[in-house]
Amino acid sequence: MTKEIKISMGILLFGLLLLVRYWFTSETRIPVLSEKERIEERIILPQYSRETYRNVPEVQEYLSELKARIQMGKAVLPLEGKYLDKSEILVQKIVLSNKEFLKDTFKNGKLLHNDMMQIHPALIASLNKTSTKICQKHRCYEAKKYNFVNNSTTIAIVDVENRDVLEVTHHENMQPDISLRLKHIAQAIALHAPEIKKELNYKPRRDEMSMANVRGALQGSPCENSEHLCVAPTFSDYKKAEALWAIIDLTELKLSAVKWAGLGKTTTPACISERSLQNRYIMKNFCEKDTALEKNGWKFLYRLTGSDGLEVIDASFEGQSVFKSAKIVDWHVAYEGKGSVDNGSDVHMAGRQVEFVKGEKEKFFFGYNDAMGCPMFSTSVVLPFNAPLVKPLYDKNKKSVGFYLTQDYRNPKWPMACNYRYENRFEFFDDGAFRVVGVNKGRGCGEEAIYRPVMRIDMALGGKEQFYKYRGSWNQWLSEQSDSQKDARLYEKDKYLYKIQNLGNRGYYIEPNRGQFNDQSRGDNATIFVTQYKENEGSKDLLTLGSCCNLEEDGVERYLQKSESIDKKDLVIWYVPRIKNDAREGHEYCWADTVIGNDGNLEVREFPCAVGAKFVPIKF
Amino acid sequence: MFKKYLPIFISLLIVAVAFVLVVQSKSKKPLFESQENNESIGAFKKQSSCARHPQFLSHLNVTQPVTIDLSQQQFKGLAFLYGKNFSKVIHPKAWETFEHFSTYALDKQGNIFLAPMPFISIKPTTFNLQKNIYKLDSLTGKISIFMHFDEVLPSASNPYGIISLVYDCDDDTLWVSAIDESNYREEKGVIYHIDIKSKEILQKVEGMDALTLRLLNSKNGKFLLLGSARKNVLYGFKIEQQKIVSDSKIKLLELPSANERIRKIKITKENLLELQTIPFSYTLIAETSTNQERKEYEIEWNETVHQFESLSK
Repeated sequence: MTKEIKISMGILLFGLLLLVRYWFTSETRIPVLSEKERIEERIILPQYSRETYRNVPEVQEYLSELKARIQMGKAVLPLEGKYLDKSEILVQKIVLSNKEFLKDTFKNGKLLHNDMMQIHPALIASLNKTSTKICQKHRCYEAKKYNFVNNSTTIAIVDVENRDVLEVTHHENMQPDISLRLKHIAQAIALHAPEIKKELNYKPRRDEMSMANVRGALQGSPCENSEHLCVAPTFSDYKKAEALWAIIDLTELKLSAVKWAGLGKTTTPACISERSLQNRYIMKNFCEKDTALEKNGWKFLYRLTGSDGLEVIDASFEGQSVFKSAKIVDWHVAYEGKGSVDNGSDVHMAGRQVEFVKGEKEKFFFGYNDAMGCPMFSTSVVLPFNAPLVKPLYDKNKKSVGFYLTQDYRNPKWPMACNYRYENRFEFFDDGAFRVVGVNKGRGCGEEAIYRPVMRIDMALGGKEQFYKYRGSWNQWLSEQSDSQKDARLYEKDKYLYKIQNLGNRGYYIEPNRGQFNDQSRGDNATIFVTQYKENEGSKDLLTLGSCCNLEEDGVERYLQKSESIDKKDLVIWYVPRIKNDAREGHEYCWADTVIGNDGNLEVREFPCAVGAKFVPIKF
Repeated sequence: MFKKYLPIFISLLIVAVAFVLVVQSKSKKPLFESQENNESIGAFKKQSSCARHPQFLSHLNVTQPVTIDLSQQQFKGLAFLYGKNFSKVIHPKAWETFEHFSTYALDKQGNIFLAPMPFISIKPTTFNLQKNIYKLDSLTGKISIFMHFDEVLPSASNPYGIISLVYDCDDDTLWVSAIDESNYREEKGVIYHIDIKSKEILQKVEGMDALTLRLLNSKNGKFLLLGSARKNVLYGFKIEQQKIVSDSKIKLLELPSANERIRKIKITKENLLELQTIPFSYTLIAETSTNQERKEYEIEWNETVHQFESLSK
């Protein structure tokens, strides 16, 4: 065998080995998680507001620079010179003065946030025929920028020798590789996130992180909102064979979710989404089991229901039971229209079936009932976002007076028209008072909306309860009935309209909201119903309760038909505020709007309306 | 001199050609994660169906082509669209009696069997309506309850019941899926095989949530294809002697996004399937961004590697 033959065989053998290795090295295939692996994943949702992440120094510096650029009339944040060579600096200068490259950087006279992402020598595969010919003779570069508002990428091919822009292409719903600066910002958010420190049980270092390139592209983004630019810095624990994934939303500059997953084949969270992570976390922790909370003398359990929102159960204060259950079972949403009603066929708005009710004088009301429930296996149409949170409660002098438990519910596309956002909030005061609060953040389908949250509070004062209304003196109700707040003229101590107490005089005054709770509220204008407790009257999930749009009734009337005795009985209070939204500029209420902010990014302006009566302990 | 180094040139050429072929071949590797065991459904052809359109349509002088609209966008329940650009509609009010339908199956007489669906708003009657299979009579055009299932129990924690069905031309039977018993932890869906004449349940397979069903005949036999309601996966069950073979479940492919579920399976050509997907979480959440949330895939069976491969769609 000659030397040349031996070399040939060596080449063939080496080539074969390389081919085998190449074949089994795959970057595009999506790993399958086994059932066991899926179950073992642990998900942690952000526990802090967006401001926590915005206070990270790198983020603040980035935002300041962004605002300064916008004020100077320049929409694109350039790549920093320290990361570029002379040619690349020249390319950046050329594209940032090219009208075609910049044509999508403003909208309605407002500049939109854009970042230069990459500048590098052009690859032959990315050139068209004309550019290919030119770039075979000249040095060409490819420059990419990303528009955060439109979620689009602009690519320019530049002949750097002739200082000529050869091609500019705009790509909708496409995200480029991120710049080094954004990579550092994502890492800084992950390093500063209290949730990450808590999970790792130490303060992590930058060199411990690897940055997976899981930006949103053809296969979707790891963020809930695939229109956002997201990345996932990762901390690997090889001893435990686990990795902690921090999903960072660079459009909102915040932590979106954190996930523990096994190493090896399960390392890549294939197209995980913030929503699916949230859904699994919420189902496991708040829909399938009750959570106990003991704080400031209060003790209770809470859970998310299938269609009645967040429910607080078995609440007691300093050892004495207060209520068995408190929840908001429904939001009735009604709009006023004029003309004749066509009931010939179903009408849907933003994917929801609309109910029509004929009113007076050629008027009609239309709308729907919004059930808030678990994100999976429920009849919910409005989703819980994040998990229930416990936050401190302050009075108008910023003095801590208690705490509140809150759950945010949203249509995924809020604040787009016909999408809604509600907050179920339960306030617990240090003096034993409590308040069930419904917060509406719009936006709805337009003006002239009437919202009616139906609140159900099943008191637990010992079973033999009595209910009173104040009419200059306290008058007891002996049978099931209702009352409208709008007719009330007299309030005990200018606060209390009703009270509920047991035979031992332990009980609560009910203080309807007339705008006195320092939350910009315009009052409850509520109807109150008092019924005798019955298991089939809302103690379990209530699917729907009455009409969305018949303003003569709130739905609870069905439980009053027998007018049963409520003297010394186990009582349930139904409290139904009535809110009218307002979209007038400067007077917005129960409303939300999206504007371009002074940093060139979309900014949601919220105008919440909060309703709900306060239950104040009777003291003798 | 050249002759001396010829073996080296040839070996380099062989390695280069092999690399090109391997790179090309790898670029066709599936986007989806497919089954990696010895089971395979094998190559298949599009077969002509025994199903025919309802006979009452011909009495109404309805000309072909006719489409059956269950989209629930314009018409509640069922509607036939026909004529130029499908602009003509047959939709008697009586067809709204049983509310909304999810899937249909035509039999060889032209009867239409319909599976129900809860849609957006829950009414007092909604859960009961999910317990039935409905039938539109080929001759009269009347819709009635074909079969009632007491054991199907939709609830507030899972409003779905009977959800999909497919007609089997081989023995005049229906394959039907129900997903009411499932919860977040457990997959407890049921597939029923039902004789149409006797309404007898011939087979009942438990433990599988099928959002959609499709029968497929391949060179390896007959299969029931199943789009999972819980996972982004297409499964196949072997059918022998008109019964689902236990332990024959084959995972055929996994879709790229963890959130999508296969809602429709169509056999479009030889070895080609078209899949339509939606997000699904056993709730009534209305997804408003239809363009982004609903997707279509075309997949091709590769007999060489015994896997489905994705084609662009």
